[in-house]
Amino acid sequence: MPSTQKAQKPQKRFYVPFGSSVRFVILLLALLFALAPVYWMLTISFKTEGEQFASPPPWFVFTPTLEHYYDAFVTRSFGQYLLTSAIVAVTSTALALIIGTLAAYALARFELPLKLNRRLSLWILSTRMFPAIVTAVPLFLMMRDVQLLNTRAALIIVYTAFNLPFVVWMMRGFFADLPRDLEEAALVDGDSRLGALVRVVLPLVAPGLAATAVFCLIVSWNEFLFALVLTQTDAAMTLPVGIAGRVTQYEIKWGVMSAAASVAIVPILVFALALQKYLVRGLSMGAVKG
Amino acid sequence: MGIEFRNVTKTFGGACVVDDLSLEVRDGEFIVLLGPSGCGKTTTLRMLAGLETATSGDILINRQRVNDIPTQHRDLAMVFQSYALYPHMTIAENIGYPLRVRKLDKADRAARVQRVAAMLEIESLLERKPRQLSGGERQRVALARAIVREPRAYLMDEPLSNLDARLRVQMRGELKRLQHQLGTTTIYVTHDQAEAMTLASRVAVMKKGRLQQFDTPLNIYNHPANRFVAEFVGSPSMNFIEGERVTKGIRPEHIKVLTTPKDDAIEARVYITELMGNETFVFLSVGENRLIARAPADFRADVDTKVWLKFDTEKIHRFDPKTGSRLQDLQD
Repeated sequence: MPSTQKAQKPQKRFYVPFGSSVRFVILLLALLFALAPVYWMLTISFKTEGEQFASPPPWFVFTPTLEHYYDAFVTRSFGQYLLTSAIVAVTSTALALIIGTLAAYALARFELPLKLNRRLSLWILSTRMFPAIVTAVPLFLMMRDVQLLNTRAALIIVYTAFNLPFVVWMMRGFFADLPRDLEEAALVDGDSRLGALVRVVLPLVAPGLAATAVFCLIVSWNEFLFALVLTQTDAAMTLPVGIAGRVTQYEIKWGVMSAAASVAIVPILVFALALQKYLVRGLSMGAVKG
Repeated sequence: MGIEFRNVTKTFGGACVVDDLSLEVRDGEFIVLLGPSGCGKTTTLRMLAGLETATSGDILINRQRVNDIPTQHRDLAMVFQSYALYPHMTIAENIGYPLRVRKLDKADRAARVQRVAAMLEIESLLERKPRQLSGGERQRVALARAIVREPRAYLMDEPLSNLDARLRVQMRGELKRLQHQLGTTTIYVTHDQAEAMTLASRVAVMKKGRLQQFDTPLNIYNHPANRFVAEFVGSPSMNFIEGERVTKGIRPEHIKVLTTPKDDAIEARVYITELMGNETFVFLSVGENRLIARAPADFRADVDTKVWLKFDTEKIHRFDPKTGSRLQDLQD
């Protein structure tokens, strides 16, 4: 017996550090892969045009400058684009969450006739089964007819519509995992359906709601296709379209683009960090029963 | 408040879960709905609460038809089998929830929560969350949430079934005491006949959605309306001896086991004995039949030894072998 114990111990000492160092290397590679473009973008935004195209590129040592930021947000209207992006993303996310959550709750909890629960859910999902671009022209014509071209409202409506199926399906799953007893208890205790939803159900699915919100926000914030098709004026243009607009026939404004893009990642980063503790729980909700 | 079910039927899909149930509960009664799982007792309770809608028939509370009144306006309190405590709220918030919904001001709410907590001896738990509580404590909180306001009736859906045996007996007593104190009409659902016997002022025995008998515990025990009730109530269960024209039933305590022969006694063999501490269950075989008898704690008999049985003939129940319903009592 003692000999086997002795034999096992060094084995453990040998394997654990080896395993963790391999993991460390893989993590490092993954991190490098993910962050290198971001680093490149950040450094470009602080480099003068001369240094941007120097060969070999000055990886770490260069004279930082804020001229591109000044150019983007003071000389050009990137401030305006940022504001539009924020308004459109936040409003459409909020709308999609409110409408989608109510729809998901109804689908998860009320028994509709004609197997409508299942059929409606699939129908809602089916709106995401074709590539978004096939709706671009119809949407353009519709928005033109109701005179919403070049407005934030057009983007808010389209983004809300496109986020809705996602919200409905995510939230439906979270609601379905929640025991009915809790809402029933709330009803018996004298609360209304809506009161029970707000006071009992929503606090319990908050992690799921937060994870869903982050996804919606990212999608709306980064959306390019519809923003490009539906808006052409500075007043209604979002950041992605504004940034892409610096690629012209004659020159590519790498500095301005990088500066604007660097600013564009900040809000999402902050939002995701703020909701980080919910994100992991939200994404794993339903997987582990509490 | 008086509660009445009038010809209430509930079907799910094609299945009839509650079949033409008529039941009248008087104000202040403690009614137990008793039956095996799937007998429709929980559905009955949920229809009364408004959590299920009756397919047909009327449900009345205080002589008012409530079929179309939503749950939140029926003014009932319910204790769920799972307790259904709100996990994100503290115990105080849980108990105060019905008051918060009714927009009572904070000070009033706190005072009433405190009073109920004192009554159920859970004052020290008020700041905790439900997950930090033991099963017995959660059960008390669920009760506290039900009695914090004065509802028209309490509905309890197997509230003790998740507790261990010792705690169950203790809480059973406390429930009875509590109901006695408050005097509020209570409908209690259980599959445990011991709970039904000890708690109820009247027991409604159900089977496959049909009401079998609705009477006091003593009458249910002594005059079961049919074979099902006779078999379901009482532990160990009643013995049955099948006959051509009549099935006879006799409870284990009405069979006397003798170790010496007697003229009118029936010969039997001991199959096995179970010592319970205060008494002994004797499993016997008489020809083809198996019987159980209750004997004193000091009764000793080896397996397969010969014994003699004396039946208390006045306590023999007679049932129709086909329908299972009770035949006219001999003494009547």
